[in-house]
Amino acid sequence: MERRMGKTSKKMLAVTAGFAVLMSACSNAAPNEGAEGAASGEQERTTLKVEVFDRGNAPAGMSIDNNYLTNYVKSSFSDTSGIDVQYVPIPRSEEIQKLNVLMASADDVPDIVFTYDSGTYYRYATQGGLTDVTELLDEYGPNLKAFLGEDTLKYGQIDGQQLAIPGRRLVLGRYASYVRQDWLDKVGLPVPQTTDELYEALKAFKAQDPGGLGDKMIPLGMSMAPAQYESLLWSFVEPLTEEQRYTLTQKLGSSDYPVLLPGFKDGLQFMNKLYNEGLISKDFALDEDKKQIWQDVQNGLVGAYSEDAGELFFGYNSTYKNMQTNVSGATFTPIDPYTDAEGKHAKPGYAPNAMYIMIPKSSERAVEAIKYLDWMASEDHLFFMQNGVEGENYALEDGIPVLDAEAPQDVQDRLYNYGDMAIIVNGKFIGEPQQNSEAYIRQVPKEYHELMRTSVDISNVDKIDQIVMPRPIESESKYGNALAEKYKELIVKTTMAAPDKFESTYESIMKEYMAGGGQAILDERKTVYGEMR
Amino acid sequence: MRASTYFIRYWQLYALLVLPLIYFAIFKYGPMYGIQIAFKEFNFFQGIHGSEWIGFDAFREVFQNQEFYKTLRNTLMLNFLDLLVSFPAPLFLAIMLYELKSKAFRKVSQTILYVPHFISWVIIGGIVYQVFGTQSGMINNMITALGFDAVPFLTEKTHWLFTYLATGVWQSAGWGTILYLAALTGINGELFEAADMDGANRLQRIWYITLPSLKTTIVTLLIINLGHIMTIGFERPYVIGNLAVRDYSDVLSTFVYRVGMESGQYTLATVVGLFQAVVGLIFVLGANYASKKLADESIL
Repeated sequence: MERRMGKTSKKMLAVTAGFAVLMSACSNAAPNEGAEGAASGEQERTTLKVEVFDRGNAPAGMSIDNNYLTNYVKSSFSDTSGIDVQYVPIPRSEEIQKLNVLMASADDVPDIVFTYDSGTYYRYATQGGLTDVTELLDEYGPNLKAFLGEDTLKYGQIDGQQLAIPGRRLVLGRYASYVRQDWLDKVGLPVPQTTDELYEALKAFKAQDPGGLGDKMIPLGMSMAPAQYESLLWSFVEPLTEEQRYTLTQKLGSSDYPVLLPGFKDGLQFMNKLYNEGLISKDFALDEDKKQIWQDVQNGLVGAYSEDAGELFFGYNSTYKNMQTNVSGATFTPIDPYTDAEGKHAKPGYAPNAMYIMIPKSSERAVEAIKYLDWMASEDHLFFMQNGVEGENYALEDGIPVLDAEAPQDVQDRLYNYGDMAIIVNGKFIGEPQQNSEAYIRQVPKEYHELMRTSVDISNVDKIDQIVMPRPIESESKYGNALAEKYKELIVKTTMAAPDKFESTYESIMKEYMAGGGQAILDERKTVYGEMR
Repeated sequence: MRASTYFIRYWQLYALLVLPLIYFAIFKYGPMYGIQIAFKEFNFFQGIHGSEWIGFDAFREVFQNQEFYKTLRNTLMLNFLDLLVSFPAPLFLAIMLYELKSKAFRKVSQTILYVPHFISWVIIGGIVYQVFGTQSGMINNMITALGFDAVPFLTEKTHWLFTYLATGVWQSAGWGTILYLAALTGINGELFEAADMDGANRLQRIWYITLPSLKTTIVTLLIINLGHIMTIGFERPYVIGNLAVRDYSDVLSTFVYRVGMESGQYTLATVVGLFQAVVGLIFVLGANYASKKLADESIL
C-alpha cells in the first residue's frame, strides 16, 4: 500500500514537473515585457513577509498563501501601495517552536510575526529582538491606533516602548456549562443552579441511568483542556484581597492560573471525589484536545459538562447537531452551576487583547508592516475580510452580517481562513460591543441562536478579569510552559488519587511545582507588587 | 604498492566514499559548532556568535533541576527495560522464522511482522488509546463484559510500563529480525546435517549451531543499543505517555522539547543534549571494551 502510493506520487511529480517545464518554455518571453511596462509607471515595489497560521484546512483549489483573501489583499492593498505581501505559513500546532527557529535565523524571519503566548513575546522583547513601533504607529498607523484603543495597546508596552501590537479581542466571556435536559426530566430534578445541585444531578444520572447506557455513561464530561475544568476549579477560589490577587496568581503562557490561590485545593478535592465516585470519565487524562469528549457528547454519553461558551453550536464543530441526530430527544440546557463562597458564579474570562503582533528588529520593512496593519484597520477592509460579499456570503439582519449557510461551497470557502488573516482582531468586528456580541452569536446556525445567546450571557456572569502586572514577570516567561504542564499533572494526579492518598499526592506535586519555578514567580510578583504600592 | 599509485588505481572507490563523508561533515560535524550554546547565554537575536559566554552556569542550573534527574532516571529505566524486552524479541522471532519449514508461510509472516515498523508513532498512539483505554478501550470493554474490573493500562504507571514495552516490541520486533535473518542465511547447511546425524534435536541445534553463529551480530547490536541508552526517541514516550503517568513517561527528549523548543531556553536544552552525548559515548566505549575482553568481539 505504502509503496504503491509512493510510486503514484512519484509519477504525478514527474508529470507535473514535465508540464511545468513545458509551460515555462512556452511562456518564457511574454511576461517580461508586461512586468517592465508595469514597473516603469509605479514606484519601486517592496515585499512584505507576513506570518500566517496554517491549519492544513485549505479547501480544494486554494492554499494557505494563495486564496480568496490573499487575492483581496493583493488587489486592495498591494496594487495601491506597491507593497507585495508574501505569506509565510506556520503550522498552528507548533507555532511557538517554529517561530523560535525563525526568530533565531534573522534572515528568514517574516516582517510580521505573532503569537498568543505572552511568555514568548516577553522573551523576544527582553532579548531586544523587537522593533519599538511607538513612533511608527503615530506616523503610519492612525487608523490602527484608533481601532485598537489605548486599553488594548497597553498590553504590548514595556517601559514605555510599544514592542508588540496586541490584537483586539471582542468576545471576553469564556465558559458556559450544559446539562442534558431530557435526563433531568427523567430523573425528576430541576435545572441545577449551584455546585451542590449539579452534584446531586450527577449522582442521580449515575444511579438511575436515564439514557440506558450502563458502563458507557459519563455523568460529567471531563478532559484536560481548560474549557472542561476551569469553571469548576475557579469556583472554589475564596474571596481575595487585592494583594492576594496580584501576588498569588500565576500567569503561565497567556492565562492566569489559580494554583496558589486559597481554596484551589478544595476544587481538586472535589474533582477527586467526582472521579472516585465514578462521575467523570476514567480516561479524561488522555484527552488534551477535546477529541474524546466531543465524541462522547455526540454519542449522547455525557450528562453535563463545561465548554467554551457555545462551541458545540458552531458549524465547524456540530457537536450539538450530531448529538441530536444520534440520540433522539437529547437536548442541552445551558447552565451556570458552579458557585463560590459568596454565591457568585465566578469564572475566568479573556483579557481584552488577542495576539501579540510583532515586528522583529531585523526587519527592514517595519514601515510597510504598519501600513499593512493600518490598511486592515481602515475603511471596510476588516469587514470585508470577515464577511465577504453582501448578497453572496452574507445578508444584513438588524445591521448584523449573517453568513449565508446555504451559499455554494466555493463561496463559503472564500472565508475559510478569515480568522487567521484578520490578525488585528479576535472575533467579528461590527462596531459597538453589543453589535459585536450579536455578530458572534449569529455565527451559529439560526436554530441555535437562543441557546447561543444564553451561553454567551452565562460566560459573562461574574467574569474574573485577567491581572495585568505593570511589567512582565521574567520568571513566568522562563518557567511558564513547564509549569503549565506541571499544573495539568497536578490536576490529573490529585483527581485520580485514591481519597486517602489525595493529601500526599497534592503535597508532592506542589513541592515540584514550587521548585520548578512556582516559587520564583511568587517572589518576583511580590517584589513587583511592592514596587506598585 | 605506493600509497599514491594505490589511490590512483582505485580512485572510483574513493569517489564513492566522498558522499558519505560529505554527509557526516554537514550533518554530524557541522552542527557541533552549536555545542558552544551550552556555554553561552543564548540570545535569539545575537545569534550563537554574539551571545555572551557564561561558563558552566547552565550546567549548574540543569544539575540542580529535579525534573532533570527524574527524566534522566526514566530515560535509563525505559531504555534498560527495552533492552531486556525488545532486544531479545527479534532474536527469538528470527530463530522461529528460520525454523519454519514452509517457505511461503515464512515469507507471509515476515511481511506481516514488518508492517508495524512503517506505521508512525502518532498513529500507533491513536490505536493504543482505542485498544487500551480504561473507559472505552477494546480490551477493557471485554474485561468489564466478563465481569472484572477495568485495568488502567494507560493511566496507572506500572501498567503503563507494560503497555509501553509491549507496543515497542510489536512495532520493532519484526523489523529487527532482518539483520539476524541475513546472518542466518550465512550458516553452512552441512552443520545442521551433521548435527542431525549425531542425533541432535531441534533445541540442541539452535543452541549449538544457530546461536553461536549469531554471536557477532548479537554483540554488535548490543553495543549499538548500549550507545543509545542515554538517548531516547521523542515520539514514542511523548505519544504513548500522558499526564497521568508523567512520573515514568517524562524522559530527556520530552524534557528537552519542553525546555528548549517550547520555552525557548536553548542553552539548557543544549546542555542536556551534550550531557547525553558524552554519557552515550562512555557507554559505547565501555561496552566495546567489555565485549573485547569477555567475548573477543568488538566493533572498534
